[in-house]
This record gives sequence, structure tokens and C-alpha cells, in this order.
Amino acid sequence: MDRPRRPCLPDTPPLLSDNLRSISIVTTLWREYAAAMADRLSAGQQRDVDPDAGSASRGRAIEVHGLTKHYGPHEAVRGIRFSVERGTVYGLIGPNGAGKTTTLRMLVDIIRPSSGTMRVLGVDPRRGGPALRRRIGYLPGDLRLSTRMRGRALLDHFARISGPVAPGAIDALAERFDLDLDRPVRALSKGNRQKLGIVQAFMHEPELIVLDEPTGGLDPLMQREFIDLVREARDRGQTLLLSSHVLSEIQQAADRVAVLSAGRLVAEGDVESLRLASIRRLRATIAGTTADAVGGTLGSISELRDLTLTPGGEARDPVRVAATIDGPVDPVIKALARHLVVDLTVEEPDLEESVLSLYGDEGRQGQETSLGTGSRFIRRPRHAGDGHAGPRRSGDTEGGPQ
Amino acid sequence: MRALPVFRRSLADSWRPLIAWAIAIVAVLALYLPLYPDIGGNGQLAQIIEGLPQGLVNALGYASIGTGAGYAQATFYGLMGFLLLSIASISWGGAAIAGAEESGRLELDLAHGVGRTQYALESALTLVVKLAALVTVAGVMVWTLNGPAELGLDAEGVLAASVSLMGLTLIGATAALAVGALTGRRAFATAAGAAIAVYGYALNAIANQSERLDWLRNASPYSWAFESAPLAEGFDWPRLALLWGISAALVAVAAVALRRRDVLG
Repeated sequence: MDRPRRPCLPDTPPLLSDNLRSISIVTTLWREYAAAMADRLSAGQQRDVDPDAGSASRGRAIEVHGLTKHYGPHEAVRGIRFSVERGTVYGLIGPNGAGKTTTLRMLVDIIRPSSGTMRVLGVDPRRGGPALRRRIGYLPGDLRLSTRMRGRALLDHFARISGPVAPGAIDALAERFDLDLDRPVRALSKGNRQKLGIVQAFMHEPELIVLDEPTGGLDPLMQREFIDLVREARDRGQTLLLSSHVLSEIQQAADRVAVLSAGRLVAEGDVESLRLASIRRLRATIAGTTADAVGGTLGSISELRDLTLTPGGEARDPVRVAATIDGPVDPVIKALARHLVVDLTVEEPDLEESVLSLYGDEGRQGQETSLGTGSRFIRRPRHAGDGHAGPRRSGDTEGGPQ
Repeated sequence: MRALPVFRRSLADSWRPLIAWAIAIVAVLALYLPLYPDIGGNGQLAQIIEGLPQGLVNALGYASIGTGAGYAQATFYGLMGFLLLSIASISWGGAAIAGAEESGRLELDLAHGVGRTQYALESALTLVVKLAALVTVAGVMVWTLNGPAELGLDAEGVLAASVSLMGLTLIGATAALAVGALTGRRAFATAAGAAIAVYGYALNAIANQSERLDWLRNASPYSWAFESAPLAEGFDWPRLALLWGISAALVAVAAVALRRRDVLG
């Protein structure tokens, strides 16, 4: 597992066609096997030299297999599987109700899985007890702090449980987020409480930081500060797992991403190549031409879907264009530029929309139940051009348990 | 890392209401006890009581109100003190686990590495300490007024009644704690604690009506605490053991229940 931390961008298309996929699985399986053997060998050698060598960067901080949670007949999480390498940032995205919070809560033993296995920092959370959780920083998705205590007193309380906290660490974090620790917590705004939540998760520099919707309520400036904080933590060797229903947030912060939908993991891959990232909603207003002419220039662009042209009332009135860009935006922009563009919006679509449009019914019913081990976790290329490392659809990795 | 984080935080978060309860108790005692020489000690009250229906007198436990110990028992330990301490301790018991869970505090504390057993035990410790504080305030106030109000109590009686009162109200509190740990719902927890308190009092009041119903006292925590008139007679160790033992069992139930289930926000 001595891969470079930032992988090279895969130069293959993110999604292989169905025919190619099966070939890819075979190669992936083989590479997986070879890499596992190599890891085992090198790990053994390392241990002889220094048991702690590279402990921050090697091994998995989180391993989850077949994790399921149901509340009565309702299945919140349906047999998901993923792993997080140490020293990386892993993003869990999905629409609301996809099972993100339930998954994260199981990792910190707030709720218990109905079935499946978990390993967090090498330990089963059910058995790890308080000692394990002190090694984890956790920010709940629904952070409600209503105490009369002041911010500092509350942080001291958490430090007593999870400490030690380096002297000055709390103040440094508070200053960074412009957070007043001398006010009663319940008098703080939602954004400031969220900052307090971030501080309590990071202050004791835990090995693993689990953050559920961490930037909710933060203004854009603070969101950027938060992303920086995440990167610094990773560069120190800490592992971070964060969930969000905002794709751009995960894109900025995470190395690897899993997409959850309706309790199932529908895709997993390197964030740079995640196909979700390439879907954009386009709206434009174009003047000085006709709907037919615009249709002529845009109609041939393969990246465009759902193209709708609304002509103005009069002959020379502006034409309104609406479409979905599925791929690079450049050809679309170049084509639009041939006309007089009065207005242009290119925006990230609603995550639920994009998950459904990309993964369709898989996201709802799911095909993942019989996923095998091994092939599920896609290795990053060891060097440039070493095969495909893009996101995978869950259906393409059928295989038996090891 | 210092000891008892949950306990310390609970106290830090709730010392203000605790002081308010203490003031209420002092006020009630200051109101009732000094009246004893005027209406209790000189037989006036005995006359009034004679005029009341016997059933009512029995239900209220006013039968021996003509003595200092009987008066203090009937007005404070058996009535207002029991009422105030029950309300306070049951609300604390409901807030301890269920309230913390509903407010999201439990999730964060547990995620930070507080064991669930530890959480339950520290919550119980908080209940005990806060109740002890109120009972102590009450005991000191009674002792202070003992002379001026001509109650004629002895120290052992006050101590024994305090321990009985505390044991009795602790059952309501730990019942609320246990139901809170089982269900995670503050409303259920508080209801359970209140039900225990009302049940004990009602059963005792019914038993007062007739000697034939005396056996009901065997099932009433209220009777266990006060039937032997601790203010006058001192400690009744077997029944105290029963009272406190039930509380201990309820705390154990709370710890086991919390260990076993999902914590929901």
C-alpha cells in the first residue's frame, strides 16, 4: 500500500462500457491479488525493522463489510462495503436519507448494526469501547448544543473525556474559525455551534475524524477554512471520513468517494474521476438568432442531454436554452460562444437528481447484495497509465467472498 | 484526563435549578415549622383534626400531629418535602439519560469515549449527590428550627427521616433513569418516576383507612420510608435497605439497558 497519496489522474474514460467492464474486473482482481501479496510481504519486512513504521500511511483506518441496519421493516443501510486507507480523506455522499448518518453512527458505536462487520482503527467498534472512541473525533450530523455552559467549558468537558489536548490547540482552532469561546453555548448561532462541533472533533488530534455534514451552517469563508483544516489533518497522517449531500464540498476535500443511495453504496472511486462531478445543469439566454439556429449548433454536441429551446415571442427575441451537460463543459461553451450570450448559468445539479440519473434504479432497489470482497476496493494506479481507476458501478463487481 | 466527566458536567449545567429547589425547601420549612407552637403544641390543631373526617385525617397522616415529630412528619417529610423532592428528582432522573439523548448530548459524550455503563453510573451519582444536597439543606433547616419551633426532635430522628426521605425519592428518580435508559424518551421516564411516587403515596393513604388494609403497606415504598416514624423512632434499617436496594437495582437496570441499545438522537 505504498501508493502515492495523490494519485495520477486516470486517462481512461471514467466509465467503461459494459463489454469492457468484465475485462477490467479480471485485471483488477489480478492486480488486487498481486498488490495484496506485495503488501503482505512488505508489511512483514517492515515489522521486523520497526513495528510503527509508516503506521499513519499504511493499512486501513476503516473496513466495513456487508453492513446492514434496519429499524423494524425499514432498512436504513443495506449491506454496504467500503474501506478507508489511513492518511486519506474519504467522502460519503448521497441524498438525504441515503443512510450516511446511520453508517457513521455505527462506526462510533452510537447505534449497532443489524449485521455485517466493521473494523475501525483495527478494532470492532462494538468491542473497542471508550478506548477506541477516544482515538476518534466525531461530529454528529444533527449537532444540538443547548447547554448554558460556555464554549470553553464545554470543550474542557470533552477534553477531559478524550484528552489530552495540546496546550493552545483549542484557542488556535477557535481563532481560526473566529469563534468566541466565552459565550454561553446556547446563545451561539447555528454556524458558531457548528464551529464548536468542528473544534471538538479536531482538538485532540485523533487518528480518525468522522464528520457528518460538517459544513452545515458555515458561511463560504469558513467552509474554505474547514477544507484547509481537513487537508492539514490528512497531511499530518490523520484519516478523515466525511459525509455530505453537497458534491462540491466532497470534491474539494476528499481523495476518494462513495455514493450512497437508499441505503446502498452505488458507486465508489477516486474523487477526480467520479462521474457525478461531470454533470452540470446549463441555462442560457441567447439573442440575435432563432431557436432553430441555436438547435443547429448545440444539437450535435454529444455531451448535451435534455436540450430544451424556448423561443421568444417575437422573431428576434432571445432564445432560452436549458440542458444537462454530461461531460466536459468546454465544447458546449465553445458552441454557445458563436452566438450572442446574454445570460449563462452552469450549476451543479441536485445530488439526488444526479445519483438517480446516473445510477437509476440501482440507487433505489440496488444490485449490491451479493458483492464479493477483494474487487470491491479499487486500487489506485501505481504509476501513470496503470489501468483504470475510475468510479465503479456496484453491479460490475460481482464475485464470491474470499 | 480527569475523573467523572459526566457527573461534573451535569452539576455544572444544573447548579442553578438546584439552588432554586433548596430555596423552595427552606421556604416551605420556614413557613410550616414555626407554626407548631401555636397550632400544634397547644392542642388547637388536635381540636381541628378531631373535627375532620377520620378518613381524611388518616389519609393525610395527621393522626399524630400533636407531637413535634408527628407535625414535622405530617407537614414536611410526609407531604411537602416528599412532593418537592419527588418532582425535582424525577425530573432529574428523566433528564439524565433520556433528556441527554433527546438533546443530542448523549451521542456526543458517548462518541468521545464515555462508556455506557460509566454514563449510567455517573448519571446515578449525580442524582444521589443532588438529592443528598437538598435533603441535607432540609435537615439543617429542620434542626435549626427545632429549638425555636419547640419540636423536640433529636438528631438521630432528623438524620433517620432524612435518609428515609432520600431513599424514597431516589426510587422515583432511579425509576425515571431506568425507563429513560430503556426507552430514550424523557416523557416516558418522567411518567414512570411520577407513577412510582404516586403509587407509593396512594397505597399508603389507602392503608391508613383501615387496619384490615394494613398489608398494603408492604407494597408501598412510601410506607417503607415512614411507617416506623423515623423522626421519633430513629433508623429502621431493614426497610432502608429495601428502599436503597431497589434504587441500586434500578441503576443497574439503567446501565444494562443503555449498554444494549442504539442511541437515537
